[in-house]
Amino acid sequence: MAKARALVKRLKAVRNIRKITRTMELIATGRFKRAMDRATDAAAYTQKISEIVADLAGANLQFSHPLLQAHDDENNSILLVLCSNRGFCGGYNGGVLRRATARIREAGNIAVEISGKRGIKLLTVQKYELSETYTQFEDKPTFDEVNELATRYIDLYCRGELDRLDVAYMQFESSSRQKPVLETLLPIGSLGGDDEIASAERAVEYEFLPSGEEILEEIVPAAFRARLFKCFLDAAVSEQIFRMVAMKGATENADDMIGNLSQKYNRARQTQITSELSEIIGGAAALE
Amino acid sequence: MATADATTATNAGKITQIIGSTFDAEFPEDSLPEIYNALQIDETVKGVHIQVTGEVQQHLGGGRVRCVALGSTDGMVRAMRAVDTGKSVSVPVGKGTLGRVFNLLGDPIDGRGDVPHDERWPIHRDPPPLDTLSAKTEIFETGIKVVDLLTPFVRGGKAGLFGGAGLGKTVILTELIARIASAHGGYSVFAGVGERTREGNDLWLEMQETKIGTTDRSVIEQTCMVFGQMNEPPGARLRVALSALTMAEWFRETTGTDTLLFVDNIFRFSQAGSEVSALLGRMPSAVGYQPTLGTELGELQERITSTTDGAITSVQAVYVPADDPTDPAPATAFSHLDAFIYLERRISEKGIYPAIDPLASSSRILDPQYVGDRHYGVARRVQEILQRYRELQDIIAILGVDELSEDDKQVVHRARRIERFLSQPFLVAEVFTGKEGKITPLEDTVRSFEEICDGKWDHLPEAAFMYVGAIEEADEQARKMQSGD
Repeated sequence: MAKARALVKRLKAVRNIRKITRTMELIATGRFKRAMDRATDAAAYTQKISEIVADLAGANLQFSHPLLQAHDDENNSILLVLCSNRGFCGGYNGGVLRRATARIREAGNIAVEISGKRGIKLLTVQKYELSETYTQFEDKPTFDEVNELATRYIDLYCRGELDRLDVAYMQFESSSRQKPVLETLLPIGSLGGDDEIASAERAVEYEFLPSGEEILEEIVPAAFRARLFKCFLDAAVSEQIFRMVAMKGATENADDMIGNLSQKYNRARQTQITSELSEIIGGAAALE
Repeated sequence: MATADATTATNAGKITQIIGSTFDAEFPEDSLPEIYNALQIDETVKGVHIQVTGEVQQHLGGGRVRCVALGSTDGMVRAMRAVDTGKSVSVPVGKGTLGRVFNLLGDPIDGRGDVPHDERWPIHRDPPPLDTLSAKTEIFETGIKVVDLLTPFVRGGKAGLFGGAGLGKTVILTELIARIASAHGGYSVFAGVGERTREGNDLWLEMQETKIGTTDRSVIEQTCMVFGQMNEPPGARLRVALSALTMAEWFRETTGTDTLLFVDNIFRFSQAGSEVSALLGRMPSAVGYQPTLGTELGELQERITSTTDGAITSVQAVYVPADDPTDPAPATAFSHLDAFIYLERRISEKGIYPAIDPLASSSRILDPQYVGDRHYGVARRVQEILQRYRELQDIIAILGVDELSEDDKQVVHRARRIERFLSQPFLVAEVFTGKEGKITPLEDTVRSFEEICDGKWDHLPEAAFMYVGAIEEADEQARKMQSGD
């Protein structure tokens, strides 16, 4: 009977775990929808602002913004890593951190800033020096919060105290495809990216008022802020997707295990009944 | 045969009933054979010569006694003459028995003629009295890492190998014979109880080939073997362990040397008892075993002990039916042992041999008082890590390793290495594994495990820990694997 009782205990534990993973899956599904709406909205804005900058760049202005200029050396680099505050999201943090640690090894001397408790813990255990940690970004990062960071980076960069900024995060491509990426946000190489050619072909003639320079002055930092914000939003969506997938898998695993354990328990129980019956019958027969 | 004539004159009875491997015989009321006396049946029925020895178990009243047949009852008929020998079954003892193979009646079965002996001892004897028992406790090194670290054997003590079917009990027992008997100067006695005859034959041949230490003499010259294997009737399997034990007792009491007693398999003794129990009219007890299970085993086990005259160190294999250690037979055997090794199917399924369960196995002397603080500490740490790993296994199965905390990940990481490091190539399994057997000194064993627990070898791949001796060999194996890729 000892065996059957131990099985019941395990069965109970697994059932409880399943309950939790199932709930987490449902919660993640709900959050994913909201995060995705925000990300797609922001994507439209980022897209548009990139187009404008690309158009500006195509306008042959005799002016350049400090954020657009690469510094001569990369002595002061910052790596911003976006992880999650919560666990239960499968390979999400692992994937991002693999990207990040590869960059740290490559760069050698680099200041690591990291968001998310999970990432902080994992890197601390591996004895990495963290210059800055953030835990305030949840599944709904607000623009104001991200803006604070962006402003600081812009300041540092303009003052020459920052030569390069990389962000390691989980890029959201579609709901079935996310990949950990490392993006260089500063210096802003080409804000327009691939859209440059496309928009050049569109060849909309802009008239800049009061002047192209003033607009550039305004729009380059804004574009940077938007892109940084986009990184945070992508990370938030990807996290929810990862959690959904991981919890779905976990629930299925738990189901399998419950099936297995129930079968084992039933067998143990039946064995015990059989042996008790045969003992009684045997005993009775011996008495005759 | 003067003695035979004498007994014929004094005491002969008639068989009145034969049920399976038991039979009843009727004697004159005033000359009943005593309990445990041997009865001899030696007659020719319809041209077939039948020779059976029986042992008196019960007095039924009315001059009838009930006996267990120690040989096959095939061909026996009622009204045969049963002669009371006036004493219980006895076996030849002495140095003449060395190098020979016997059945339970003490007759040689190796086809090498008569056994020179001065004495025969009855197989039923009292256990040594309390005041003659030896009290010293000393570790008995085997060179098997997992055994020395977690379940150290006691010199002059009893060790049990518990395991279900096909987990390698006999292999470990043979390995121990190869390791201990070849390094050991004293005498060894092997009892084959209800196991495969083929294995007995293999062992016999192997003992002839294995040399003692560096000398030219083979192990068999210091060993005597007693077999009552699967094919024999329950009565034989029930008594063969006693026959072997009696021979071992002679070595203990007369020569004063350390004697080794190997029994494969003590469960068959209980099983044989259960087979005849119902025929003797006893009511079955839990799981159909004989109600006297504890008594029978106790009588046997209490005799396997070390006295002030000499020591018997015994290793016994115990079959665990249906992998259920709560079964009464293994559970009863358990309480008699100093060191307890439990073989686990889950481990053998991973391909790790010896498949010893490091958590279920234990030893009386795994205690800082006997093995020292360092050894004890390392053993406990190893068990802690493995225990934690086992607890985490369900979580890993459901959520994956990624969800564990960093500490737990490290535990899993080390536990998986420790688990593999508990494997070891065996001397007797060289032909199967293609790997040379490894004897690891205790000092190396303790140090190796200590270093793994400290995380010194975390960088080696798991596979490097499989089937090596000391930890340096794992390092070497890792390098070989790397250069091979």
